Amino acid sequence: MAAERTDVVIVGMGAAGGILAAELGKAGMKVIGLERGPRLVTADFTPHDELRYFQRQDLRPNVRRQPVTWRPNAYVRATALPVLNYGNQAGGGTVHYGAVSWRFHEDDFRARFQTIERYGERAIPEDSSLADWPLTYADLEPFYDRAEYELGVSGKAGNLRGRTIDGGNVFEAPRAREYPLPPLVADQSGLLFDAGARKLGYHPFSTPRAILSRPYQGRPACTYCGFCQAFGCHIGAKSSILVTKLPEADATGNFKLITGAMCYRVDSDNSGRVTGVSYYGADGSDNTIEAELVVLAPFIYDNTRLLLLSRTAKFPNSLANSSGQVGKHLMAHISPRVFATFDDRFVNIYMGPSAQKHSLDDFNADNFEHGGLPFIRGAQISVTPADLEAGPIGAAMSLTPPPGIPRWGAAYRDFLAKYFARHAALVAQTENLPYADQTIDLDPDVRDQWGLPAPRLTYDWRRPNELARVEFMQQKLEEVGRAMGATNVWRAPLGPGAPGAHHEGGTRMGSDPGTSVVNRYGQSWDIPNLFIVGSSTFPTMSGFNPTLTIQALAYMSADAIVNRYRKNQGPLV
Amino acid sequence: MTKQGATRRTFLVRAAAGAGAVAGAGLVPDADAQDASKPGAPNAQAPTQPRPTGSQHGAFFNHDDAATIAAFTERLMPSAPGKPGAREAGVLNYLDLALAGAYADLQDFYRRGLAQLDAYCRATYHEPFARLDAARQDEVIASLENGRATGFTWPDAQELFNTLRTHTMEGMFADPIYGGNRDFAGWRLVGFPGAQAVFTSADMQRRQAFTRVPMVGLQVQAKGPS
Repeated sequence: MAAERTDVVIVGMGAAGGILAAELGKAGMKVIGLERGPRLVTADFTPHDELRYFQRQDLRPNVRRQPVTWRPNAYVRATALPVLNYGNQAGGGTVHYGAVSWRFHEDDFRARFQTIERYGERAIPEDSSLADWPLTYADLEPFYDRAEYELGVSGKAGNLRGRTIDGGNVFEAPRAREYPLPPLVADQSGLLFDAGARKLGYHPFSTPRAILSRPYQGRPACTYCGFCQAFGCHIGAKSSILVTKLPEADATGNFKLITGAMCYRVDSDNSGRVTGVSYYGADGSDNTIEAELVVLAPFIYDNTRLLLLSRTAKFPNSLANSSGQVGKHLMAHISPRVFATFDDRFVNIYMGPSAQKHSLDDFNADNFEHGGLPFIRGAQISVTPADLEAGPIGAAMSLTPPPGIPRWGAAYRDFLAKYFARHAALVAQTENLPYADQTIDLDPDVRDQWGLPAPRLTYDWRRPNELARVEFMQQKLEEVGRAMGATNVWRAPLGPGAPGAHHEGGTRMGSDPGTSVVNRYGQSWDIPNLFIVGSSTFPTMSGFNPTLTIQALAYMSADAIVNRYRKNQGPLV
Repeated sequence: MTKQGATRRTFLVRAAAGAGAVAGAGLVPDADAQDASKPGAPNAQAPTQPRPTGSQHGAFFNHDDAATIAAFTERLMPSAPGKPGAREAGVLNYLDLALAGAYADLQDFYRRGLAQLDAYCRATYHEPFARLDAARQDEVIASLENGRATGFTWPDAQELFNTLRTHTMEGMFADPIYGGNRDFAGWRLVGFPGAQAVFTSADMQRRQAFTRVPMVGLQVQAKGPS
C-alpha cells in the first residue's frame, strides 16, 4: 500500500497519545494517531456487566491474541500472564481505569538524592538502579495544573502554595490553585477510614479522581453507580481521554485516527533519523506512514518491543539504544491488602467510584522517618473494595475468607452472604525500587496474533527492600482496619512475584545520554525526531498511580514540541 | 436434576422477551434485612414455569458430565433454605452455554478434566462423582484443591478445581442474561442490587442493608432510558 505522509504520527491513543494528538493538532500540525483497538463511544458502556468487563476484561487486551509473558528470573521459561491491566481501545487505560489522579511528591523526583542526604548511600540496595528524574516537581507543576483543569479532576488541596489545608493531602507538593472540582462524596467505607485514621493521628482525605463531582465542560456529574474501575463510564463522567482530548483533537481538523492499526516497526534511515512507522491494518494490510516526527505512546511493553523490533544496520542494538538501557528497570506496584469486616453495620462498598476511595499519605515516599527501618520509600494507603471493582464476582474472586473458612462449601457461602455488603479492604500501593535486571525483551517462543514476538517480562518483586516494605505496610493496614471499628481484620495472601498494576520503565529518562534512553521531554537522545511519552520513561515510580503524571509529561512534551522543537528540529536541552 | 427454577427453554424464551430482569422482591442479605420474601423462591413478577424435563444443559455437556457438574458446583455453593446455591442459580445452565460460546476454547479442558475426575472417583470410591454422598464429594473436592488427587495430568487437579470454582462464581453472580444467577438468586444471596443507575449520598452513608427495589439487570438496561 502506498505510504501516507503527515507531520506527526502517534502510536497509541491513550493517556499520553490523546493529549499529544489534541495539542499538536491545535498548533496546526497534521497528526495521524494509530490505535490497535476500536474507538468506542459512551453509549457502548450502558451495559453494567461485571462478567464482561471485570471478569472477562472486555476493555483490555485479549491475553490469548496479544500475550505478554512473564518469568521470575532469566533461568526459567516465561509463561503468559493471565490478566493484562492496560487498555485496548482509543482512550487506552483511561477508559476503564479507576481514575485516581495524583501529583507526585517533590521527593518522588529525587528519591536517590534525598535518600542519600537523609539516610546515606548505604540505605539504597546495592543492586537497585534508583535514579533521580531530570526534572523537578516545580517544572511539572504547570502541566499537572493543565491536566487537572482540562480533563476534570475532583479533589481538595492539601497544600496551596505552601499553606497546609486540613482535609486535603497535607503531604502533597505545593499546588498553584485548588482542584477544579470539589471532592467526590465519601461513602461509608471512606467515612470509617477517615475517622479511624484520624484516631491514629494520620491525615486521611478523599482520593483525587478524574471523575466529575459536578457537571463540567458539558459533561454530567458522577451518579455513584459503582461500575467504575474495569468499566467505561455510561454517562461520560469519568474524564477519560475518550471524552476529553479525542473530541478536542477531532475539532482541530488536523487529526486522523486509524483504529485496528498495529504498529510493528519504527522506520529509520541512514541519516540517523526516523522516517515514520509501519503498521498492520484491521484488514491485515501492511501499511507505511511517513512522518517528520514519530511519537511512541502505547503501554510500556510496546515501547520497548517496538524499539527492539526496529533494529537496523545503523541501529543494530535496537533503535534509540546507544545507552544500552532499553528494556531495563521495569517497575510495578505491589498492592498488599488487608480485609476488614463489620458485624455492626453494612458498608455497601459497591456504591460510588470503586478504586482507592479514601486515602492517607503518611507512609508514602519519604513522608515518614525511615531511620532504623530495613527499607526506603513507602506506599500510598487507601480503602477500597476487595478488588478495585466492587461487584459480587470481584468479591468472590478477591475477598479471601479469613483463616478457618474455606473458599467453597456452606461455610464459604455463609461468609460471602454475610460479608459481601459488610466488607472493606485496605490496600497499600508500594513504591518498588528500580533494578536493572527487571526487564522487558522479546519472547523467543511466544508470538501474538500479528506474528510478532510477545513482550517478555523478567521480574520478581520479592527482594529484601520490597519484602520489608510490604510487611511494614501490612501492619499499618491492620492497624487502620482495627481503628475503623472492624470486627475482624485479616491479611490477603500475597501474590506470586509477577508485576502488579501500573508498570513503569523500559525507556527511562535522564540527564545523561550514557545512562538513559530519553531526555526530560521524552525525546530520544539518539534520534531527535523520535519521542517516547508515558510511564516507560519514569526513572522511579512513586507509590502513586501514574496516570496524571503521564498526562502532565504529555502536556510538557507537547509544549516543547510546539514551542521549541518546531523552530529548531534538534535535541532539546 | 433440579427441583426448582426455569428450564433452559423457559429461560431463553424469557430472555428473548426481555422479561424477568426486574426482581420484585428486595434484597435479603441476611437476617437483618427487613424483606420477608424467600430468596430462590419463584418470583411474583418473574414467574418461572414448571420444567418439563428438568434439563439445564444440551448446548455442550453430555448427560453424565452435566450430572457431575451439577453435583460438583452444588458442593462448592450448596443450596439451603433461604440461601440459594448453585442449583437454584442455574450454574450448570450458565456453564453449558459458556462452553458452547465464550469459553469454547475450554471445551477440551473440561472434557479431559471431567474424565480424570471420573477415573479418580472410580479408582478411589468405585463410583462416579455424582453418585457419591456429599461428604465423599467434599473429600474429592478438597483433594483437588490441595493437589493431592492422583492421576491428573492436564488439567492438573488444582487447575480443575480453580476453574470450576471461578466458573461457579460466575454462574452464581453474573447477570442472568448469561444463563445463571436465575431470578437474581446469587445477588439475593449476598445483597447486591445489580446495576443501579444512581446511589445518593444518603444511600452511600446508610449503615443498613440497601433494599430499594427493583434489582436491575441487563435486560432492563437494554431498553434504554425511560
